[in-house]
Amino acid sequence: MTAARTPAAAYADYLDHLAEADESGAIGVALDLLDAGVPAERVLLDLVAPAQEDVGERWARNEWSVAQEHAATHVSERVVAALAGRTRAVPTRGRIVVACMDGEWHALPPRLVAEVLRLRGWRVTFLGASVPAAHLVSYLHRHDAHAVALACAVPVRLPQAHRMVEACRRADVPVLVGGRGFGADGRWADRLGMLWAPDAPAAADLVADARALSRVPPARLDHLADDEYAALVARRAELVDGALADLRERVPATRAYDRARLDATVSDLGHILDFLAAALYVDDGSLFTEFVRWLVTVLTSRGVPAAALAATLEHYGGVLREFPRAAGFLDRGRALLASAAEPVGR
Amino acid sequence: MAPDWSEVVPHVREGLVVCDAGGVVRHVNPVAARLLPELVPGTPLAAGVPAITTDPAGFGHRSRRLTARRVALSDGRCCWYVEDVTDHVDRADALLAERARASFLAGVGTTLGSLLHPDRAAAAVVRLAVPVLADAAVLVLAPRAGRVRWWRAVRPGDEAPAVDGGVLAAGDLPQAVADALGGVRAHAVDWLAEQATGAGWLPGAAPGGTHARLVPLPGVDTPAGVLLVTPPPGGSPDEDGTELLDAFAARAGAALTAAALYRDQAEVAETLQSSLLPVEPPGVPGIQWGTAYRPAQAGLRIGGDFYGAHPLADGGALFFLGDVSGKGVEAAVFTGQLRQCLHALHRVESRPGPLLALLNDTLLETVQAHGQGRFATLVLGVARPCRDGGLTLTMAGGGHLPPLVLRGGGEVETVPLRGMLIGVVGDPRIGEATVRLAPGETCVLYSDGVTEARGGPRGDQQFGAQRLVDTLTGCHRMPAPALAERIAQVAGDWLTRGDHDDVAVLAVRAVRPGRHLHAVPAPAGQPGRSR
Repeated sequence: MTAARTPAAAYADYLDHLAEADESGAIGVALDLLDAGVPAERVLLDLVAPAQEDVGERWARNEWSVAQEHAATHVSERVVAALAGRTRAVPTRGRIVVACMDGEWHALPPRLVAEVLRLRGWRVTFLGASVPAAHLVSYLHRHDAHAVALACAVPVRLPQAHRMVEACRRADVPVLVGGRGFGADGRWADRLGMLWAPDAPAAADLVADARALSRVPPARLDHLADDEYAALVARRAELVDGALADLRERVPATRAYDRARLDATVSDLGHILDFLAAALYVDDGSLFTEFVRWLVTVLTSRGVPAAALAATLEHYGGVLREFPRAAGFLDRGRALLASAAEPVGR
Repeated sequence: MAPDWSEVVPHVREGLVVCDAGGVVRHVNPVAARLLPELVPGTPLAAGVPAITTDPAGFGHRSRRLTARRVALSDGRCCWYVEDVTDHVDRADALLAERARASFLAGVGTTLGSLLHPDRAAAAVVRLAVPVLADAAVLVLAPRAGRVRWWRAVRPGDEAPAVDGGVLAAGDLPQAVADALGGVRAHAVDWLAEQATGAGWLPGAAPGGTHARLVPLPGVDTPAGVLLVTPPPGGSPDEDGTELLDAFAARAGAALTAAALYRDQAEVAETLQSSLLPVEPPGVPGIQWGTAYRPAQAGLRIGGDFYGAHPLADGGALFFLGDVSGKGVEAAVFTGQLRQCLHALHRVESRPGPLLALLNDTLLETVQAHGQGRFATLVLGVARPCRDGGLTLTMAGGGHLPPLVLRGGGEVETVPLRGMLIGVVGDPRIGEATVRLAPGETCVLYSDGVTEARGGPRGDQQFGAQRLVDTLTGCHRMPAPALAERIAQVAGDWLTRGDHDDVAVLAVRAVRPGRHLHAVPAPAGQPGRSR
C-alpha cells in the first residue's frame, strides 16, 4: 500500500486506526504524511483535529461508546506526541502557558494549539487537562509568561473560565481563550471581556501581536445584578430533587430505574440547570437552546423520547417563575423541542 | 422707595462694563476697572479686551481666569458682568489633581499587589510610571551575582508605553545609579541624564539638558532597585509631583521586595516539592502504565497519595499505590520517606509479601523514633511478563482498597486483597493475591479519594466502589493512560465544587511487547463496539 500524500487522502485510514485504538497504525499514518513533505502544522490541523471532532460526534450519536471515545482520544494524543518528537523546534520566543480550565477534560484541542505555537518558535508549557486555578496562578508566579491560552470546550464552565481569566490578569499576564465553550463565533468570550481565537493559527497570530493582546474588550455583565444566576446555583440540589420527584410522578417507569440509570438521569437533570445557569451568566438564551438541540441528539440516539425533556423543561419553568430571564430561556428551549417534534407528526 | 442705584453699583462684586450700541465702553465700575484696566470709557470694548467671551469656561486675562455674561439693555446698549473665578478654578483643579493622584496610587497598589513574579512586577513598575510620572522610566534592580537587570518604558506618542529591558554587568552601572542602589540618597543631578544616555537607557539628551530624577525603591535593607524618570517636556518637578513619585516608589519597592522573597521561597519549595511528586513509572516491556494524580491542595500539587514503579533486574516491575494518613505537606513528606524506603528495600527483597513486612518494620521504627503517629495503606505488587503477552501479578495488601481487574470481556473483578495498616503494629497481617492478566487486560489500583469523593445531586453522596466498577465496565479496550484519566475525570465530575481528598490511580495493562503496543483484536459484537 502506498502512503497517502495529503491529510485528506489519509483521513479515512486514520479514522479506522482510531476506531481500533491502534496507536502504532495511527502514528504511522501521521508520520508517513510528514515524510511525504506535509508540514507538521497541516498534519495536526487537517488530520488530527478533524478526526477528533468526528470522534466526539460519533459519541453524541451513540455510534461509539465512551470507552471508545476515550481510547481514540488517547491515540490522538500519542500521535501528537509522536509528531512533536519528529519536529524539533528550537524556541526563540517567549513562554506561552496552555491549559484546560478546571474541570475541563478535553485536552486535545489545546494540545494542538500548544504544538502549533511550539512549531512557530514559542516556548510552550502545556499544563494539561483540568488545571485548578490555584495551580495555574502559582505557575505564573514562578515562571514568567508572555501569555496564557485557556481552553474551554463546554459552556457550563464559563463562570469558572471568567474567574480563572481574572486570576491570570491579576498576575498581569495577558490571556486568550479558545474552544467551543465560548460559542462557535466566540460571542460568550466577547461578553466576558476575553480575547478569543477561533483556531490554533489564529491563536498563534494573536500571541505574536502584542498590541492585539493588550486590547481587551470590556466585560458586559450588568445583567448579573438580578441575581438569577447566583440563586440558580444556590438552589441547584433542591431543584434537581424536585425535578426527579416530578419525573417519577409523570413517568412511572423511572421509579424502577437501577442505580446507574438513576445516576444518569440525575446527572442530566443537573446538566440542564448548569447550562441554564451558564446562559444566565452570559445573558444569552441561545446558549441554552444550543444545548437543548444537542441533548435531543444524545437522548434520542439512546432511546429517550424528546417529550420527556420537554416535560422537565416545563417543570423547571414552573418552579422558576419568579426568574424572568431563566423562565424565558426555558420557554425558548420548549419551543425548539416543539418545532423539532412537528415533522414527525405526533 | 426706589434704591439709589449709583450708591449700590460700586459695591457689586462682579465687574460691570456698560457699552453703547456701537460696542464703545461707556461705564466701568471699580471692580471691572481693576480686572480689566485696559478699558477706557469712550474706546471700543473689543480694542481693550479682545479675548472677552461669554464662553462658560471663561478666558485668561493678566494671569487671572475670568468669566463674563453679556446682558442686553435698552436702546441697543449692553452690560458685561465680569467675574474673577481664578481661586475657584484653582481649588477645583487641585481637588481633581488630588483625586487623580489617589486613584493612580490605588490602581498602582492593586496591580502591583498581586504580582509575585519579579520580572512581571518590574515590567509593571515602569509601565505604570509612564505617562503619569514620566515620559520615560527606567527601573534598575539591585545587582544579583554581579549582574544588573533593567526595564524601561517609553511613551511613543499617544500609544501605550512600550516596555523593554536588558542586563548590564554591575561594574558598568552609571556612578549615580550604583550609589543609589548602595543606599546613597541622590537628588536631581544635571549629569544624570547624560549618564543614563551613556548606559543606553535614554535617547540622546535634548539640547539644554533633560531633567532626570533618581528615586530609590525601598527594599529590606538596601533599595530593591532605583527608578530613573524623565518628566514630560516642560514639566518641572513640583512638590506634589515629588510626593507622588515617592508614594509610587514606596509601593513599587514593596512589590519588588515581596516578589523577590516569593521567588526565593518558591525556589526552595519547588525543589522540595519535586522530590515529593510521584515519579512516572519507567517503560517496561510487556507493561503499559496509566496514572492519574490530583492532590487536594491544588496550589501545592502534593498530597498524601503516592504511586510508583521500579523495573526489576530479571524482567517485570515492582509497582505500588498507597495513601498515608493526613493531608497536605506533612503527608507528602511521609510519602517521600515511604517511597525512598521502597526504592532501597526492593533491592534486597522483591517478593511483595515479605517486602511489605520489611517496609512495615522500617516505618514502625521511623514513626516511633519521630513520634509521628502516621500510618499508610498500600497495595504493592510485582508484575512478571508471560510468554503469551500476559502478565502475572503477585500483590500484597496493607489495608488498602482492593484492586480491580478489567477482563477481556469487559467485566470487572475485585481482587480479594485486604491486610492491615502499615506502620502501626509489628508483624501485621498482610493480604496476598495472585492475578493473571491476559494480553489487553488491566489491573487498576486507586486511592480512597476516588470512592469517597462526595457529590452527586445533593453533594453529600459518596461515589462508592460500585460506581467505580460501573465506570470501568466495558472499558477493556482502553489504553491504560486513558483508563486512569477516565477514573480521575468521572470522580472529579462527581464532586460538587469544594474540598476533595487526594486522588491517585495506577493502571497496569498487559501488552504484547514489540511494535504494536495494544492493537488488541476484539471479537465482533463486544460491548465496547455495540450500540
